Amino acid sequence: MTDTPRPDRAQTIRPKYIGKKVERFEDPRLLTGRGRYSADIKADRMVHLAFVRSDQAHARIVSVDTSDAAEAPGVIAVYTAADLPELPELSAPSAMKDYHATVCPALARDTVRHVGEAVAVVVAQDRYLAEDAAALVMVDLEPLGATADPVAALKPDAVPLHDNVPGNKVLERSFATGDAPGEIAKAAHTVSGRFRMRRKSPLAMETRSYVAQYDTGRDQLVLHTSSNIPGIVRDELARLLHLPGNRFQVVSPDVGGSFGGKGSVYPEEIIVVMLARELERPVKFVSDRLEDLTSTSQAFDEIIEATLAFDEDGIFIALDAEVIGDIGAYSIVPWTAALEPVQVVSFLPGPYRTPHYRGRVRGVCTPKPPTGPYRGVGRPMAVFAMERLVDLAAAKLGVEPDEIRRRNLVRPEEFPFRIGSGIRWDRSGFLECLENAVAAVDVASFRKRQTEARENGKWLGLGFGTYAELTGIGSRIAVAPGMPINTGTETAAVRVDSTGAVTATFATASHGQSLETTLAQIVAEELGVRPQDVTIKQGDTSLTPHGTGTYASRSAVIGGGAAIVSTRALLKKVQAAAGVLFDVEPDTVETGDGEIFVPGTNHHITFGDLARAVYSDMKALPLEARKPLEAQEAFDPWLGTTTAATHVAEVEIDAETLEIRITRFLVAEDCGRMINPLVVDGQVHGGVVQGIGAAILEELHYDETGQLLSATLADYLIPTAAEVPTLEVNHIETELPDNPGGFRGMGEGGTIGAPAAIANAISDAVAHLGIGVEELPMTPNKLFRLIAERQEKE
Amino acid sequence: MKPAPFEYLRPGTLEEALVALDHDDAKIIAGGQTLVPMMNFRLVAPERLVDINGIAELSRINETEGGIRIGALVRHAQAARDPLLKNAFPVVADAMRHVAHLAVRNRGTIGGSLCHADPSAEWPLLISLLDGGIEIAGGSGTRTCTPGEFFFAPLMTDLADDEVLTGVVLPRLPAGTGMAFDEIAQRAGDFAVVACGATVEMGGDRIVSARLAFGGLSDVPVRMADVEQAMAGATVADIAGAVAGCADGLEPNEDMHAAADYRRSLAPVLARRVLTAAAGRAGGRE
Repeated sequence: MTDTPRPDRAQTIRPKYIGKKVERFEDPRLLTGRGRYSADIKADRMVHLAFVRSDQAHARIVSVDTSDAAEAPGVIAVYTAADLPELPELSAPSAMKDYHATVCPALARDTVRHVGEAVAVVVAQDRYLAEDAAALVMVDLEPLGATADPVAALKPDAVPLHDNVPGNKVLERSFATGDAPGEIAKAAHTVSGRFRMRRKSPLAMETRSYVAQYDTGRDQLVLHTSSNIPGIVRDELARLLHLPGNRFQVVSPDVGGSFGGKGSVYPEEIIVVMLARELERPVKFVSDRLEDLTSTSQAFDEIIEATLAFDEDGIFIALDAEVIGDIGAYSIVPWTAALEPVQVVSFLPGPYRTPHYRGRVRGVCTPKPPTGPYRGVGRPMAVFAMERLVDLAAAKLGVEPDEIRRRNLVRPEEFPFRIGSGIRWDRSGFLECLENAVAAVDVASFRKRQTEARENGKWLGLGFGTYAELTGIGSRIAVAPGMPINTGTETAAVRVDSTGAVTATFATASHGQSLETTLAQIVAEELGVRPQDVTIKQGDTSLTPHGTGTYASRSAVIGGGAAIVSTRALLKKVQAAAGVLFDVEPDTVETGDGEIFVPGTNHHITFGDLARAVYSDMKALPLEARKPLEAQEAFDPWLGTTTAATHVAEVEIDAETLEIRITRFLVAEDCGRMINPLVVDGQVHGGVVQGIGAAILEELHYDETGQLLSATLADYLIPTAAEVPTLEVNHIETELPDNPGGFRGMGEGGTIGAPAAIANAISDAVAHLGIGVEELPMTPNKLFRLIAERQEKE
Repeated sequence: MKPAPFEYLRPGTLEEALVALDHDDAKIIAGGQTLVPMMNFRLVAPERLVDINGIAELSRINETEGGIRIGALVRHAQAARDPLLKNAFPVVADAMRHVAHLAVRNRGTIGGSLCHADPSAEWPLLISLLDGGIEIAGGSGTRTCTPGEFFFAPLMTDLADDEVLTGVVLPRLPAGTGMAFDEIAQRAGDFAVVACGATVEMGGDRIVSARLAFGGLSDVPVRMADVEQAMAGATVADIAGAVAGCADGLEPNEDMHAAADYRRSLAPVLARRVLTAAAGRAGGRE
């Protein structure tokens, strides 16, 4: 080497991997059938479970006769709650006032409260035999009456579902800033609506699956679960079953989607672990699609009655909302029933300046499966209602939807901005996203096309969905109010082992988020190795002392932040060791592409060389310099960071058949600095597709007795490729948020903006008929009814 | 979602199949696209399954005197690409595009679809439209049913438990007859809310004869005799008037996806579009 002067450090920066379109490291495994899901686990002497589930919504259990089932071929045991005296109960505590925690035994003891609730469990040699025997269990149920409609369930004559939930009202919470009712009373203009999003299923491709194995010799229990919150499952089951965490390991192997449905603690997880210990045999439960639709947590199901007041210029003055959230039979563990409906009122004012706000939410128990986390939590409903009000206001003043948004969105100089519910928005591209979307769609030329198409029997509609969401939420803010679980901290451990290989360990639990790729990109860039040389380990409680999992758009921000601070700490150790080895100051040591060097010198080794020097070679380094190349740091963003987007949908409705086609869909979003644009696009695409489902297809139909009418995928309709247009995604980066990576969460936004945009587009298409969308999903059949009702009125 | 235990037999000939069916609780399995889900839901739990996939003669499409015979084991995808059918009854391929998805079309059979008799399914409608003869073999010989005789209600047909539907004969239509098919479904591949097929024979500017059939408007596929009569001697311009209110007397099934009045409202729209398309194709004019 020559003695050329050492370049400025800024010019020798390591290769950049953050922001690169790195193809997913998960894909070769997952796309060629080499993934390993919970259901793939096989073990000697493994037994299989089939649950006997209630076919009534609300009934007293008179008797459960398991005698025939117990005699059936291949049956090892049959259990009811009566056979398991130590059977734990699931209950979600909260410090929130006006909240009542419900109690849900892992198997129903005296009462069933929704169709699909487990009453007994059959253990057999295989699932076929278990189902044969389950069909022989005789359950005698005495109907207790059911009030399935949430509005009716709040009335005095409703059938109470829980003794400790007076009037079926499981929670109530209000937010108020200023005097919304007073301002509305004297405002120049108001618009109102009664908005409803129907109950939805998360519907992951992989159904919930659990395998528990008990090592009797070591008194060790291992649960493999399809959960996306293995840390929370470990903590909760350890508490309920009195297991020390070092003898109870919870592993989430490959997981085929969750969308929130696998993000709570389930009775079946408890039963599987209990029975593995009781029977001293591996126990497997893989739910089928019917069980998935009747026992996995569900989404939305809220009614919002809201009024927006504004002045002559269309400037918003006040917003008032009454929300009823149908939370189903039980308050979900650990999030509580407050998670979804309270977020509706928290986020309702959205990205707009609305000086006066009053919002009240009541959570109502009804005999249906519990609602739980679902991609977007609360915000799909809040944004749907608010964005409809915004468009109604625009229509009332005769201005275009983009113009009224422009006048009311929080402006760049106004950040940080606190909305009426107390949510604080940090700087994000509210207006920038809107303007980007408007430029892309050209509203004026659309209006021309719209007029021409109407002559040809096609109703075209254009709809905006503008929203902001809080992501990567730190420990200052509970994900659900009063919930005693810290979801704001993430710890990463990064190490260089004796072969020079890099492994980074997290408590996240990727179930489609591509974290094996994106976290590897971050570690690689910070440490100076190649992404493909970093192995990410996660989803295993034995790897980390604490952690919760992957949900709530937290893993990129908080996990990514932990990756950065930990890797920087490791880099210091690498530099220190190399500094001794090279006999230079540590901060002159640089790394890149797996090599460690001092620019302008012939000091140039690989990570493997350094690892040998530190761990194996007893002469290269003095004893005191042989420190493990490992660092573990935690990161907690304290607050959250704001992600914003504008979605635009264009629809075409056949004037005769009322078929609804989404012909264009565009997303302009600000998620801060992108780790991997391919992954961001994939997340947006997937979210929007689910939003399309919520907008025009997906609905769990319950009748007035609480029976599920859409219990198969022939009746519960999800979007297929044929229903999804090409999705355009524009990325906008404004000021980066104040966290180590400059990242904002973006796993949920697709689902948040799309329903509102599509609802507004359909409303725009049928505006000339004097109707609009107040309920989602909106289907041809429902449009037909709306038009007929309108014609009757005339 | 696992089926109850069953005995499985796979006869190699029709005669063996009929012997195997001589049992209290036997069910034929062909493509299994309807039966297997029903068994997995334990909606049905036959003690014996008689798999007829080994009977080669049932999977052929061949010309007969005056028509084309389609074996009961012919798959939807096979029917869609068959040159004989494409030539004589192009409407079959048009309709097959609407049958579920590719995987189902590769496995599902015409015989299975007819026996399942879903009133929204494509094959029962096509066989009604094309006046197909449904061939049935039983212990005492063979017989042929008209669609009107065969379809009773969903899942209910004239086929006895110990009989096998062996095929369908479609009588040739006059050369130059135009045909068309369309349906409204909530998603691509779903069972139709309403489906409609038509044939039109033109003489100059006049319609010589027309046929119109619907699925999804009743318990069984429906032929619209009134409209067909009104069409004879009419022009294309008369179609809209002739089909107006054509479903008014019908009582379609209601479900969560489509109310009866919505289904009825679709009938004249589809009828007009399909008859007009068929007239356009008549006489090789397309």
